[in-house]
Amino acid sequence: MKRLLSIVIWVAVALLGAGALGAIAFNRGEPLNAMWFVLAAVCSYAVAYRLYSAFLAARLLVLDETRATPAERRDDGRDFVPTNKWVLFGHHFAAIAGPGPLVGPTLAAQFGYLPGTLWLIAGAALAGCVQDFIILFCSMRRDGKSLGEMAREEVSRRGGFLAQLAVLAIMVILLGVVALVIVNALKSSPWATFTLAMTIPIALLLGVYLRFVRPGRVLEASLIGVGLILFVVVAGQWVAESPAWAKVFTLGGLSLATALIVYAFAASALPVWLLLAPRDYLSAFIKAGAVICLAAGILLVRPHVLMPPLTRFVDGTGPVFAGKIFPFCFITIACGAISGFHSLISSGTTPKMILRESHARFIGYGAMLLESFVGVMAMVAACAMPPGVYFAINSPASIVGGTPEAAAATISSWGFPLAAGTMTDLAHKVGELTLLNRAGGAPSLAVGMAQIFSNTIGGDRLLSIWYHFAIMFEALFILTVLDAGTRVGRFMIQELGGRVWKPFGRTSWMPGILISSAIIVAMWGYFLYQGVVDPLGGINSLWPLFGISNQLLAAVALVVATTVLLKMGRLRWIWVTLLPTAWLVTITMTASYQKIFDANPRIGFLSFANVMAAQIAAGKIPAAKIVETQRIIFNQRLDAGVTAVLALMVMVLIVEALVQWYSILSRRREPVLHESPYVATQWAPDFSGAAHGDD
Amino acid sequence: MRRASRITPRFLRRFWRGLRDWCGDSAYERYLRSTSAKSGASRTLTAEEFYVERLDRHYSRPNRCC
Repeated sequence: MKRLLSIVIWVAVALLGAGALGAIAFNRGEPLNAMWFVLAAVCSYAVAYRLYSAFLAARLLVLDETRATPAERRDDGRDFVPTNKWVLFGHHFAAIAGPGPLVGPTLAAQFGYLPGTLWLIAGAALAGCVQDFIILFCSMRRDGKSLGEMAREEVSRRGGFLAQLAVLAIMVILLGVVALVIVNALKSSPWATFTLAMTIPIALLLGVYLRFVRPGRVLEASLIGVGLILFVVVAGQWVAESPAWAKVFTLGGLSLATALIVYAFAASALPVWLLLAPRDYLSAFIKAGAVICLAAGILLVRPHVLMPPLTRFVDGTGPVFAGKIFPFCFITIACGAISGFHSLISSGTTPKMILRESHARFIGYGAMLLESFVGVMAMVAACAMPPGVYFAINSPASIVGGTPEAAAATISSWGFPLAAGTMTDLAHKVGELTLLNRAGGAPSLAVGMAQIFSNTIGGDRLLSIWYHFAIMFEALFILTVLDAGTRVGRFMIQELGGRVWKPFGRTSWMPGILISSAIIVAMWGYFLYQGVVDPLGGINSLWPLFGISNQLLAAVALVVATTVLLKMGRLRWIWVTLLPTAWLVTITMTASYQKIFDANPRIGFLSFANVMAAQIAAGKIPAAKIVETQRIIFNQRLDAGVTAVLALMVMVLIVEALVQWYSILSRRREPVLHESPYVATQWAPDFSGAAHGDD
Repeated sequence: MRRASRITPRFLRRFWRGLRDWCGDSAYERYLRSTSAKSGASRTLTAEEFYVERLDRHYSRPNRCC
């Protein structure tokens, strides 16, 4: 009877999800209510979790409850800490959820709401969650080994080295792009710049408190910090209204880029307890709070989605970024559907803290479903504003024009009506000088979130506070990615350099710290710089480059997972990882080819460089601008080279894996799994991590 | 009603403990209870030493994603 009831409930959930998906896919009339999106996503996730992840856990991976995890066998209270599954879910989610699932869907909304939403849901269920879950499983069975180590052991030595290089390259591109998103959000905005600048002294204050006053009392320190941050969000308005102070905090793109580079260098070289860690604590609390508020706001306000399901820009002529729906929708969405970067977290801290093998399903598969849901909410927030406003915020001046009148005329001519005064009024309401040409996704998401929040609490009166709260929330945790990423990049460079000259590899040697910090900052700083001076707005070039590199890393992770599954004798179910790998290789290689060679100068790096070079040769560029143009040409060729090298590295790794697969399948070589030996758990079946003396 | 009054404090206690575990507030207490600290094989760290050492290790590998 119970079983029958369960079947009836799950059939009802599946039908409800299918109905909601049908409604958002086939709606062509009145604007849809956002609840259809929530319903479609939640029901799809529930069915995917109940059925597909259960199949992966039981049939593919055969999770073993009797097997002791690394956290039990090596419990040292430092790295290996047996952790309750809900707490570890929170840890894992806080680590994987960054700006990607917010910015990616916002940018992809230029194709309309439908392609992005479908890919967010299907991509997560069939690819992203699968990758996170299986890599977590593999690392858990290998005492928490990293992706690079697993690639070296299970695929080949060269494969491991290539994976390590790919991680460093992706880190550099990621940091450059997210820094550009902050620059575009803070440009000419004294309120937002002041708020973010004040988070530095607040973090320093907390750092000293946590180190000397109350060591390790993270909760009370974070609550004090969150209170101070909310205060500076409000205080930012007073700064923006004071002509003298507003001038101090009104910065252009290059000044902001320089400030970020200096900040990240300092955060990387200074002791971690002073600046980096306290900022991370603040960011985690603000992030959790803002995501919960956004979900609650969408449920309470239930806004209508005004963006059409498909726009004319599926043909590749989009103003936010150029390129057809295939492959660029999949490249742009990135982290909300599948993110290679997650495999670094799934093979980092999480596998060392997992209490039972069965928890890997909830943490690996479940946390990625939640991240995908954050992506769907970002899509709703971006599509709930009038499409004309969305395009005015996200399009560069070189396409829509730099004045409100020119932008309104161009965008209206695309079929998205926009009055010239609308953007000026909106900018005034949110306390900004202008909202035009703010490509990067952060300002438009902040406008979307602010409208949802202000419809819940405060109305138009609080719109500006909510907008700046949303900007602060995005900028704060992007800055956390920036400083934590710079520090990790520094360690990677020291490790690589240490192979050539040993002292360089010592992480406590001050010249090594300073030189490696300078190298990593210079590397991503250059990408940031080229984004700031790019006439097409930077995001057009750099976000696809980031998407390609992130998805290439996902392909690397899935190749490692496929190799492990083959060695485990799971040939029958190998399509679970092989199909997502094939899809990722197809979209990344197509996108890489188009970004390098496409004849359209807005898509192809080389053709854009050639157009600029031809303009110099034809004497169309004024003498004063020739050096700047030559730099742009160099940047485009550099981007083409970076894309080609990344694609080539992954192709070499795939060939290495294919050789390995062939030798396993043809039985030329006995497959050797590098799992840790089986040890039976000593814990009672109902042990949940709470009975460690404190329950 | 009686059931609710019994369940609510338990839920709040668990939530509070989960929150402390999640943000790292109880990390030192956890360390003191760990097998290696209890075994006495190496010197037990003070709260301050443990805090700094834990952060140094935590932020030397990818821990925040895109």
